[in-house]
Amino acid sequence: MTDALYRDKSILVHAYLDGELDSANTLAFEEQMSSDRELAAECERIKAYQDLVRKHFPRTEAPAGLRVRIDAQVGASRPTVQHSWRDSWRALAASIVVTAVLASGATSFILSPEPTDTARDAVVAAHIRSLMAPNPIDIASSDKHTVKPWFNGKIPDAPRVVDLAPASFPLVGGRLDVVAHTAVPTLVYRHAKHLISLTAVPAPGRSDSGAASQSTGGYNILNWTNDGITYWAVSDVQSSDLSTFARLFRVTPADR
Amino acid sequence: MSVIDIRRPDLMFPDVADKVHAPPIAEQSRDSSKTGDDKRSFVQLVRPHLGDAHSLARWITGDRSGAEEVVQEASSRAFRAIRTAAGARPRAWLLTIVRDCAYTWLQKHQGKPLTRSGFHGVEDKQSGRARACNPSDTTITASSEARHLEAAIFALPAPFRETLVLRDMLGLSYSEIAEVTDGPIGIVMSRLADARGRVIRTIGRKSS
Repeated sequence: MTDALYRDKSILVHAYLDGELDSANTLAFEEQMSSDRELAAECERIKAYQDLVRKHFPRTEAPAGLRVRIDAQVGASRPTVQHSWRDSWRALAASIVVTAVLASGATSFILSPEPTDTARDAVVAAHIRSLMAPNPIDIASSDKHTVKPWFNGKIPDAPRVVDLAPASFPLVGGRLDVVAHTAVPTLVYRHAKHLISLTAVPAPGRSDSGAASQSTGGYNILNWTNDGITYWAVSDVQSSDLSTFARLFRVTPADR
Repeated sequence: MSVIDIRRPDLMFPDVADKVHAPPIAEQSRDSSKTGDDKRSFVQLVRPHLGDAHSLARWITGDRSGAEEVVQEASSRAFRAIRTAAGARPRAWLLTIVRDCAYTWLQKHQGKPLTRSGFHGVEDKQSGRARACNPSDTTITASSEARHLEAAIFALPAPFRETLVLRDMLGLSYSEIAEVTDGPIGIVMSRLADARGRVIRTIGRKSS
């Protein structure tokens, strides 16, 4: 499988940067990149391009006038005379919309599954709430040997806690959040002046997947699954920084 | 032509001025409670994504007022089909309709001059289709970097441009892009790599 995958590394470098590789392939790709200077340089060029795009073409609202016209078009409800042809027109309009697509079998096996919206909304809400609370954490400590035992006794399994301070993502502490009526551990890391919430949601039986990124309400979100646990990283740091954080968290052994 | 003639569904894109005075679609519905549900669905599923819809329309048409026509038409279609067609990924669903409308608009306006073009580009009634700006007649400003980038993206063939825009401007996942562009993920991956490579080479030449 590896040979087939890396035959076209010039395509996979994009999937890697977009967080579309599963964790096994992400690690394998990073290993390959560490010994391939041209590949690493290509990776940097793409990142620089992405930064440029983010800077000059941020996502925007539709023009206000357009939004008003659209609202007016669907919003008003004055009664009016009905004609029989309207029904056929509506049926036709409905049939215009076609959304059907399947991934080609050749590539889909290395790609991540889609995240679930419910869990995403819960972890984002918990992150936002924590920023508004007097203290964003229940246990404040930069020492993983303090944070990890704190979870013991509160939830069945304490999360994997790694020390990322050398990479400028110091551990700040931990708290308990609730996702789908279950208490789950959240680790809080800091990067510059921003906090990153990393929530570990048990996902028994789910296969490993690479980091998938999305954003909502100004927050960047990454999620990936590893060893039956889906991790959600939420923060207002730049998505590239969040990707770096996720990558470091995944590759750093917990017992170091 | 003073109002939309909805007996003529082939008449997709009357002038934008006519659109403004179009009768509310909600009037066409027989059952007002269902219409209320549709309106709620529209507000939840479609309205949050109008910004992305507008971006995609502008990058495909290269025309500012054309993009507004496209988004308005796509919103109408989305509203009419919202009960039957909106799926688990409403943004991808809406963008699928927007893309369809945008290419229809382009076909109808083939050969006609565009009103305005790009985002950072200069206004230019004579400029070619989907051409952001002519680098030779633009003054060097702080945003020349932005205009070069924009011109490089507009220079891409449409299938590559739309893939790049969906990923890099709007942040869709590969599987969402595959849904919107109605193709396999393998094609999405190779087009994205190709499109980014071309843009990187073009702006590399400009800055060196």
